[in-house]
Amino acid sequence: MYMASTRVVGDPAAAIRAARCLCVALEVAAVDVSYVNPFVESVGSVFSTMLGVNPRRLAVRISSGTNGGGARLTSLIGISGRMHGCVALCFPPETALKLASKMLGTELTEINDEVLDAISELVNIVAGSAKAKFNADPPLQLGLPTVVEGVTYRVKYPSKSIWLEVPFSSDAGDFSMEVTYNPN
Amino acid sequence: MKALIVDDSLTIRRIVRKALAIVGINDAVDAEDGCAALEAINKTQDFDLILLDWNMPKMSGIDALRTLRQSGNKTPVIMVTTEAEKSRVIDAIKTGANDYLIKPFSPDQLAAKVKNVVAAPQ
Repeated sequence: MYMASTRVVGDPAAAIRAARCLCVALEVAAVDVSYVNPFVESVGSVFSTMLGVNPRRLAVRISSGTNGGGARLTSLIGISGRMHGCVALCFPPETALKLASKMLGTELTEINDEVLDAISELVNIVAGSAKAKFNADPPLQLGLPTVVEGVTYRVKYPSKSIWLEVPFSSDAGDFSMEVTYNPN
Repeated sequence: MKALIVDDSLTIRRIVRKALAIVGINDAVDAEDGCAALEAINKTQDFDLILLDWNMPKMSGIDALRTLRQSGNKTPVIMVTTEAEKSRVIDAIKTGANDYLIKPFSPDQLAAKVKNVVAAPQ
């Protein structure tokens, strides 16, 4: 990121893009991103155990409040207790269809209640699996998952919260996870 | 043999149903929460096995299990849940669960648990 900013002199648009990248990089560097690791590990174990899919994690970045980078289906779940936060899985419809088909063992061709239920359960299991890794006593509590469909929404969480976005690529398609997490 | 599958997720109920078929249990009834589970049990007393989620709307699985055991019902119960903390497992066993399976699970893992619980003397 730092090197990129030195290569764009003479191209104002590229310079602006590089400056934005640098700002994001500095912001990520200033944030303790370690809390995202249990969630990333959980995505790997949940997807491989239940779907036979092995997602590849791409670079973590700061999100402005999830809209899934244009994804149309987002499943969200809240976490509360000694720490609080929210986890979202954001899917383009094609990825959601493939994952739900694998989960249910049947070919699904349109976004329906079965697909919404499947991605809702995925975020539930990912969050449940991750929360155990924090070893909180008493255990952290999960809310009930919610699915949002659309492209222009924005999730507002308590001010000063930072959402980290973790993009994944997989044989079933790309998707991303967004996590915000704060100690109480 | 007849099973009661209690989970608010249709997806999980289907996955559990498929896993039960692996061990030859093809007769299963669904319930979406703890209240619906207790209603189904009161209506049909002949369940041989209950697969019970923890986090559900209306009534949680652990509350349903407590109510069930307090009423004297001894039907074997396997908790199938995302609650993976050791303290949760201990709570469930103390409340009367016969076994505990943490999500994510494969159908084979659930089938193995079912086999063990069904084979164990009650």
